[in-house]
Amino acid sequence: MILWVMPDSGAKTMEDYATLVALFKKENPSVDVTVRVFTRNVLWRRVFTLKDPTHEEMPDLIQIPHYWTALLVKAGVAENLSQLDPGLSLTDCLVPLKEHCYQPGTKDIYSYPWWFDLSALHYRADHLKLVSARPEEDLKTWHGLLQICQALREQFGNIPGYYPMQNSDWRGSLSMRSALPCMWSRGLNFFTEDRAATLVGSKEFKEALHDYITLALKEYMPILRERGSLGTIVSGKASMMISRKQGISMFSAKRGMRVCTLPVPAAGDQSAAYLSGMNWFISTLSQHKKEALMFIKFCARPDMQLRYSHMIEAFPAFEEAFEPFISSSPRLQVYKEILPTAHTLPNMIIMGTVMEILKRLLAMCAAQIVEHRFTQASLDRELDMTAKEIEYLLSIYKG
Amino acid sequence: MFDKKSYTLYKFHKQINQSFQDRRELLECALPALRDMFRLDRVYFFDWQQERAILSLRMMCKKEYCMDMQEDISVANEPAFLRQLLQKGVAETTDLSYPALYVLIRWLRPTVELKSGEVHSFMREKVGVLRLERFRKNRVFTDAEIDLIKDLGAEISHNLHNTEIDQAKNQRLSISTALNDLSTIFASSLRLNDGLELILKGIQRYFHFDRVHLYLTNSEGTRIKSVLGVDISGNVTQESGDSLRDEEKQILKEVFESSATYRAKRSVIYLPLKVQRTKVGFLTFDNILSRRKIGYLDFISLQQFATQMALTIDNARLFERVQELSNYDELTKLPVRRYFNEKFAEEIYRAKRFGLSLSLIIMDIDWFKQINDKHGHQIGDWALKAVSKIIRSSLRQTDVPCRFGGDEMVIMLPRTNSEESKVIARRLQERICDVVLPDRNALEPEHLSISQGISSFPSDGTTANELLEKADQALYVVKQHGRGNFAVYREVAEQVQQTSPEEQKEEK
Repeated sequence: MILWVMPDSGAKTMEDYATLVALFKKENPSVDVTVRVFTRNVLWRRVFTLKDPTHEEMPDLIQIPHYWTALLVKAGVAENLSQLDPGLSLTDCLVPLKEHCYQPGTKDIYSYPWWFDLSALHYRADHLKLVSARPEEDLKTWHGLLQICQALREQFGNIPGYYPMQNSDWRGSLSMRSALPCMWSRGLNFFTEDRAATLVGSKEFKEALHDYITLALKEYMPILRERGSLGTIVSGKASMMISRKQGISMFSAKRGMRVCTLPVPAAGDQSAAYLSGMNWFISTLSQHKKEALMFIKFCARPDMQLRYSHMIEAFPAFEEAFEPFISSSPRLQVYKEILPTAHTLPNMIIMGTVMEILKRLLAMCAAQIVEHRFTQASLDRELDMTAKEIEYLLSIYKG
Repeated sequence: MFDKKSYTLYKFHKQINQSFQDRRELLECALPALRDMFRLDRVYFFDWQQERAILSLRMMCKKEYCMDMQEDISVANEPAFLRQLLQKGVAETTDLSYPALYVLIRWLRPTVELKSGEVHSFMREKVGVLRLERFRKNRVFTDAEIDLIKDLGAEISHNLHNTEIDQAKNQRLSISTALNDLSTIFASSLRLNDGLELILKGIQRYFHFDRVHLYLTNSEGTRIKSVLGVDISGNVTQESGDSLRDEEKQILKEVFESSATYRAKRSVIYLPLKVQRTKVGFLTFDNILSRRKIGYLDFISLQQFATQMALTIDNARLFERVQELSNYDELTKLPVRRYFNEKFAEEIYRAKRFGLSLSLIIMDIDWFKQINDKHGHQIGDWALKAVSKIIRSSLRQTDVPCRFGGDEMVIMLPRTNSEESKVIARRLQERICDVVLPDRNALEPEHLSISQGISSFPSDGTTANELLEKADQALYVVKQHGRGNFAVYREVAEQVQQTSPEEQKEEK
């Protein structure tokens, strides 16, 4: 059986999967499991060729962001898990994750939850103490965050390569996933309620994106610089980070460093977090559907959910494991407060495409910022064009 | 005897000088080899986007494995680093706390581009960067090591060049195989529509497009007649040109004015289908949902295929036209007897197989010979045209009328019993009675009338000949009783049996 997975824990991914597979093989010695790690980008391209494979190696089980489910059902590459195992249930699954497992408009399960993460703001207590008496209060709003960034810049400006914020984007660029809380906290969404039109071209959306981009524009956060070598909290070259990773092992690696976690500062009236789920789906062409289903169920077991979530510092997708997981560390308690404010990307056919379009748009902005040729007017123009493109997609794929 | 450097080079050469499917496969072999030779902790491979001064990380090799990576690093603000890397081919990093060496590698890759409508095939220089890291023991790179690494970089360049050429060759081979397969499919399908469906599905499968559409137009290219498509689920869709949105209709002019069009960052292609000046339609391929770029090579190959496709569609249309002409009577525009017989046999088979009803009407124009004699053949032809026009407009789509010969016409009525066929016969009779012959000299208007005989399956017969014979006999009875009426065989069977076949012939 071949698994296509994403780098859940960066360079440690293969080691983590090796541990998981070893545990699976202990119970199922006759099943061979091969793991291939692909970036989201590569996987995005590859899922479209699953139906008519050109690769010699065909995957059986594939990890995907949960909002791709509708698309994969439409493309005919995902197996109907409800048909494969009529007993398969989502009863114990956390509520925000359920809708993303079904084919929209039906109760047929096509993908099954694996884990999820949740965005939050992490900050170094020792750094913030120098610029704010009550960081929890000052960091409640986006405006407050920018002010703290400015104060930190003044405080640590003499450290070479210092940035108040660490960039948590995988590519070291601007990331739509990091910008999403600014949109949601304004009560805004990608689409109108009936999902017939997009709000990407609206004034509020442009403002939301501008809030996020300000971090790069004012050089509070490095972009297109090497992650890991510049502006990290651990190295002392950054003081804060908005991230979906809990960062427990990373932050505790440095003795004496205390990192606190708060909800993402609200750019609008309310705080909002981005909940990003990862699901499994079985390829319709798989020759090992039974084994793949066994692996899915193995991963959904509370003990495995707990174990893997600790390994990659994400959250278990099922209630039975979620509660004990949250209780396992005092630093995780804050996520109880964050979870009710969580938003997800809708499970729509075009959602993955919309994120691809916006990712390219932000990559273009990042290059413009670095080359000092960014203007808000050009971004607004691009967003208007993007909105038209999304509406065209909506007209073809009806969501 | 080899010295140590030559031996290392030879060893490395042997390791990576293989036939790789693509660049990724080559790097998965070369990076671990470098890691092991120089006891590196990590090796990275970047694509160098020279015009933007960005290093795009593609692969990382660490410990036992390699992994695809994705990270952009701008070096626009580091001119000293850039200068050193571009001039010397190697540069040591300035902002890492451990030894890391950048090595520039250049190679030529086959490229195909379209410039002002023309295809240009050439070799383009591609630049990559290797980064070798030692962070565990902080061992710096010696001059000898740097020298050797530069040579190994050159070896990788050489292999990247070969791999990319092989990849391009394989790609061309697989495309030509695909197009050959598609041509075979097209050639072997009997019906144009079936062939087109198979072709569109084939193109989608071979080239991995999200959607493929064929728009068929009139020969002037001013109106879309129909659209055949395959969606992302692989389902075939068919639409009439009238139901299209205005934007889609507006595309016509643009498509036919250019030889082919790339759209939306090469996610959409429009290919016009033309045979000399005759416009057949156009093809569209899109990856709008997946956002995957469509390569020039695919585009050019499809362009060549489109020419062949246009010719085939045009030929098929001509063939259909010829068939239409041979199956239809030129004067009345009704099917001819041969075509009718085929359809009749099929319908009888279907009626037997599924226990369905079927009726047949034979009719002729009353006093047709006299009309010809009195008014001339022109008026006779006019009468035939008028009657057949009424027949065509009065029947259902499933009914098959036919000009059997002279003024005799036959109508096959599938799924119709004798009572239902009487309704149709009455309707025809009433409508044809309203027709007045166009004779300026006539003192009184001369109305047309018809006589009709009806037989039904299976009560009156179970073969084509039986049904024709029975309907003909019923027609004879109508004629005996003054014409201008219709009769069902079953209802007049007794009267038929009293008449000899010779009498019937005489009457006709």
